This record gives sequence, structure tokens and C-alpha cells, in this order.
Amino acid sequence: MKLALIPFLASALAGQSLPPLGSTGDLDTASQNLVDEARATDLNVNSRYVIESITFKDSRPYKLSSLALAEMHRLVGSKLNSESLNRLAERICGELRAYNVTFKLARGGEPDAVKVLLEVDKGPGKFDFSVPTFVYNSRQGWTGVAEAAATFGPNVITVGGVSDGDTLIERTEGVRARYDRLSLGSDRVRFAFQLEAYRDEYNRATLDALDNDLSSSLGAGAYRSRLNFEPSATFVLAKPLTFTVGLSFEQLQPDFPAAQSESANAVINTLHYHRRWDSDATIEELDAGYSLRAATKMLGTDLAYNRHAVNLRYGYRHDHQSVEVKLVAGVIYGRAPLFERFVLGDSSTLRGWNKYDLDPLGGNRLAYGSVTYGYRIMRIFYDTGSVWDEGKPVAVKQSSGIGVSGGLGIFQKGAFLLAVAFPLRQGHADPVLIAGMNF
Amino acid sequence: MTIRPNGRLQIKFVAAPLLVAALIGFELLGLGVSSEELLVHAGSGDVHVTAPRLHFLTGKSLQRLLDGAVVPFDFQLSLAAGSKSNVVARSLERFSVSYDVWQEKFSVIRLRDLRKSSLSLSANAAEGWCLDNIFVSASALPADRQLWAHLEIRSVEPRDQVLPVRDPNISIATLIEIFSRTPRPQQDHWSLESAAFHLADLKP
Repeated sequence: MKLALIPFLASALAGQSLPPLGSTGDLDTASQNLVDEARATDLNVNSRYVIESITFKDSRPYKLSSLALAEMHRLVGSKLNSESLNRLAERICGELRAYNVTFKLARGGEPDAVKVLLEVDKGPGKFDFSVPTFVYNSRQGWTGVAEAAATFGPNVITVGGVSDGDTLIERTEGVRARYDRLSLGSDRVRFAFQLEAYRDEYNRATLDALDNDLSSSLGAGAYRSRLNFEPSATFVLAKPLTFTVGLSFEQLQPDFPAAQSESANAVINTLHYHRRWDSDATIEELDAGYSLRAATKMLGTDLAYNRHAVNLRYGYRHDHQSVEVKLVAGVIYGRAPLFERFVLGDSSTLRGWNKYDLDPLGGNRLAYGSVTYGYRIMRIFYDTGSVWDEGKPVAVKQSSGIGVSGGLGIFQKGAFLLAVAFPLRQGHADPVLIAGMNF
Repeated sequence: MTIRPNGRLQIKFVAAPLLVAALIGFELLGLGVSSEELLVHAGSGDVHVTAPRLHFLTGKSLQRLLDGAVVPFDFQLSLAAGSKSNVVARSLERFSVSYDVWQEKFSVIRLRDLRKSSLSLSANAAEGWCLDNIFVSASALPADRQLWAHLEIRSVEPRDQVLPVRDPNISIATLIEIFSRTPRPQQDHWSLESAAFHLADLKP
């Protein structure tokens, strides 16, 4: 029905049971009255109750923007408002790129309080494209990861392309594919299988260091490519503590085709703890993990080693101010290949330093700490740490920087950082520009 | 018609009128049930309807209500005179129903007049309250002609559930437009028709 006919039909068909709606003006006035009255009244009878909590029904760790989290935080403790909850559901639906997000109410722990349970409907089958990592470092160039994911119920298949010159000593370029089963019998068990195929390229400094390396801690020289098969299972021990166990079968193809390939087959274990506390205008977040990669002869590995790493991140935010502290430590026993060795001086650790200046082969010992202070989108950070080989002198390095970070438009889900970082050393200052997201 | 000394044929001749009679009976019975679904009566100069066997707080809509959502229902009551297609008066309403998760009772608000509401109702009472609050003025109806009442109810799907604060155009005009479209397959909808009646025959 055409809109132009509506006022006429409204008045013609309404009969005497309706208020006289003889003109467009009358119709508009009636509508406006309806709007004004509705503004003053929540149509939901449960609007008399206070929201006790807002959680996801499926208890999955969805990644939401700080705006969505702040909105959830604001609504808890206030009277239920359907309109506000609908807006929140719409925002979350957009951020998670879900088919639909709805909310359900349940009785709270206290009389006159209700719990809000958000239900995410990913749809019958869903395809998603994302750029989980994108970084530019004026010394080390570009790094990017692009992924396409297909979701079918609890099954997720992800295929991605990687060009990473930031994380490891070598630049890796290649593809990775991953299958995730998000629930296996219960939501407390997840299964994953990952396949990675990379071609490796080396910086001149690394190749020179390899030529002159007398270290017995390096498990393999330069390799041309890597192929990794990695099945794993994650168990939710006690929320929010999870334990991942799996196997990694890594094949290293040497630079010289005539040479034999080497394997680095390892048992992988990761304990991960993530918790967040919300109170009035204050958000605290703790993220801690311990990982062990044990390459053992039992798995037929050519390179035997144990790699231990611990990391801790604590964030505190009050109104517009925030403080974040990061601590990372690691130790490798045995002969680990280059891709397992610790690195500092990239776009997220010891920012401002060049990793090839610090140690072109990486190290088997690591200690690192970082403090970041933020006010609104401004960030000031101080990094310190060292990467070294066992038995060699420890040289502690420091750096600092300033930049802007936060959610900007489409980047709302992940942290966007644009920073200038300076290595703190005697002599000339040589700043490094870092820009990127989700790293 | 030739009557043959054939028992089977004779049985057929006997059975045919019985079958026809039975079909007519069932048809009449069917019409009777259909007419009885929507009962028409008079009150305060208006024509009201009741539908004792109608339950629209069921299925998906009921589940959404029990989950704490607001579920609007659109109502259209039309009166036809002379023939069923000749609509002479119509009333449209949107009722918003919600369910109190603590009291386990229903609440209904008539959207066109938010002061008109009722709290703490059972499901049957909530359905009845909606029907009580949709009516057509008797003065608009011809007294000398045969009349039919037709009631149509549609639940509003969550995706279409635009609250008035977000869509200033939700109004009688919007309801007219909604009922001008056929309901979607997944949309809960009910349609009831009364038996033919005359205005003068209506009882309170």
C-alpha cells in the first residue's frame, strides 16, 4: 500500500471506533503523541526490576569492544529498559557479525532483580573475512594476517594467509588452515586441528650470525620452509581457567635441497587464565598463561628441547585513565630451532629497538616487562627487558614511546595503535614508527 | 433410472443419498464451528467480539514472552455489510504483551492509548482483555443489512519489532499497511469469522 494513501485510508477505514484522523496532520499528531507517551513508558512489565547481571547464555569468550563492555557495565544495576537492551543486542550483533542477538530474562538472586542472558545466533552457516593482524614497523616492514572463516554450528573452518616479519627472527610467508570444534560433548571441551605451511626468509644479520654461530643451543640452521600439523584439545578446568594439550609435528626443510629435513615434534601444553572485574567506573582485567613445548624423542623428533614461557598482563581502567602492566619470561632447555627462540624488539615488545640489533638469532632466555599509561586515546609506555643465551652476559635494554590507541570505527573490536618509540641508549635517538591493529 | 435386480447397485443407490446427507451435515457442522469461533455482541453502543476457543499466547510467541521479551500483537476487527467483501467499518489495534518473570503473570498495554493497560493476568485473561479492547462503533453500521465480523490477529516478529520510540510512524496507518500484506509463513497469525447477524439481533 502506498504511503500517500495511508492517511486517507486511515480516516476512511477507522470508522467511529478510532479517533478522527481526517488529515495527515492529525495522523502525525496522533503518531507523535504515541511516541511521546511510549518514551515515558517501557512496555515490558519487567522494567520494574533491576538488572543483576548481563552474561552470554553459551558462556563463550566473545571479544567485544570497550564501548559494548562499558554499555553492559552501565546497564547492570539499573532498571531494566528494553530499548537499551535492544540497542546493546544490536551493537553486539554488529560486532560479532552474528545473524541475530537476542536477550532473555531470568529471575535474579535477589527479589526484584533479573539476570539478562544474551543469546548469539550465528546463523545456519556463516562466512567471515577478517584481518586479525596488521602492523607496520618502519624498521621491519609490514606484517599482515588475513583469514576467511566458515561457521557451521559448532564447527569453524578457518583459512588464512600470513606474511609475518614481526613475531619471529625470520620472516614467514605462507598459509594456514584450522578446524575448530567449539564443543565436544559439552561446552567445556573444544578440539582443534591446525595445518601451517610457511616459506622462511632471513635478514642479512641473521644469516651472518648463523655463519659465525658457535652456540650449541641452536637446534637447526636456516631452513627454507616449515610444515606443521597440530591437533589440540582445550578443557575448561574451572572458569576462567583453561588447559590446552596437543601435539605439534613440525617439519623443517633445510636451505640446501640435498640436506635432510629435520623434525621438531613436541607435546604442547598451555594453561590460560582470563578474568575481568567490573565495578563503578572501574574495570580490571587479568590475563595469565603458562606454555610448555616439549620436543621429545618419544615423538621421533630430531631436535629435543623444552620451551617454557609465562606471561602476565594486568589492566586497570578508571574513567578515562588506564594502566597496563605486562610481564613475560621464558627459558629453553636443549637445542631449539630458530622459530622457537625468544625475540624482543618487535612491534609489541621492547618497542623502538631492532630485534636484529639485540640478537639476530634470538635467545634461549627471556625477561621482559612493560608499563603503559593511558588517558583517553593517548598512550605513554615504557618497556624493558633482555633476551640472551644461557651462560652469556645479560644486557638489559629499555625503550619508551608515545602514541594513540583505541577503537576507531571499524577497528572498534581491536586495539589500534599509532606510536613513535625510542630506544633508550646513549648517543643518538633513532625513533621507530609503529602502526597497526590487533597485534 | 432403471432398477436392476442387483443388490450391489441397490445398496449404492441407498448409500449415495446417505453419503450426500452426511457430507452436507459435516459441512453445516463445519460452518457452525467456524461461525461459533467468533461471537458478536453489543455493548455501550459498540460491537464487541469474543472468541472462547481462540488462544494466541501459544507457540513461539509464548516462548518469547516467557523469556522476558515484549511481544506485540496486531489486531484488525472488520465489519462487512451485504456481502463479506463489503467492509463498512474497521478497528485496528496493537497490543504489547509481556510476562512478569517474578510474578509469572502477563501484562498487556494497548499501544494506541498507553494508559489503557492491565497487569497480573493469566494467559486466558490477557487474551480476553485484548478482545475486550478492540471494538467497532455500532453507529457506523447499517441496521437493516446482514453483517459479518472478521477478526485477524498477527504476532510481530522480533525483526519487525520496532518500538514506537524508534519508529514515529507506527500508528493506525502503519497497522493498515501491515494488514494489507499477507502474513509471512513463519509469522503466527489467526483469522476468525462470525456467522451472519443483524445489528438488532445482538445481545449484550
